[in-house]
Amino acid sequence: MMTLYDKIIAIYPDLQIQDFLTVITLQNDSNGAGDYIKAWSHPTYPKPTDAQLAEIN
Amino acid sequence: MAALIPSASATGSGTMTLAGPSTNSNQTISIPDTTGTMMVSGNMPAFSAYQSSSQTLTAATLTKILFQTEEFDTNNNFASSTFTPTVAGYYQVTGSIRCGNTQIRTFIYKNGSQYKLGTDVSVGYNAMAGTLVYCNGSTDYIEFYALVTGGGSVSAASAETWFNGCLVRAA
Repeated sequence: MMTLYDKIIAIYPDLQIQDFLTVITLQNDSNGAGDYIKAWSHPTYPKPTDAQLAEIN
Repeated sequence: MAALIPSASATGSGTMTLAGPSTNSNQTISIPDTTGTMMVSGNMPAFSAYQSSSQTLTAATLTKILFQTEEFDTNNNFASSTFTPTVAGYYQVTGSIRCGNTQIRTFIYKNGSQYKLGTDVSVGYNAMAGTLVYCNGSTDYIEFYALVTGGGSVSAASAETWFNGCLVRAA
């Protein structure tokens, strides 16, 4: 099963791990709700929509 | 000579007892020349917990680290891997994690948000975060989060992945 990180990389293959340490924050609060986008401020790529993420399997 | 005067605002019916030493030695307790709450073992929360069941972390995702086993929790303020002290004051808290062959970045969270960044280590090391943090004794809570760049399983061992803290100074 693809993780949220995997799905985002599938949508934007040029993203680097450094982007996830600086301008993109994925978070999991270990409460059963799973991974989510906590913050997104990438200067080039817009935050993926729920529909875009749902299309990736 | 200074007088010992019971507070007029005291509402309880309990008796305050000053117990002498159990030896024949004379002992002196010096009261600070200031107003405040005297801290004793009964109102100074301290906790220590560790991960006893390995947690799998997803790459590039800040994840709340779980601590399933308590070593001590003197005031019952640690639950669900969250420290919510019921005594207002300044707390020293520290977390540590070991997780496979990956870069690890650690954070102390306060009230659900990043509060202090800890160490950011490269492959194969323990990473730690620690800070002094004020808690209001009611709603403030502290958690330990980590981000790994490569994903992997956390080392579930009391000496490697742990979280502890204690009250250093009352409010």
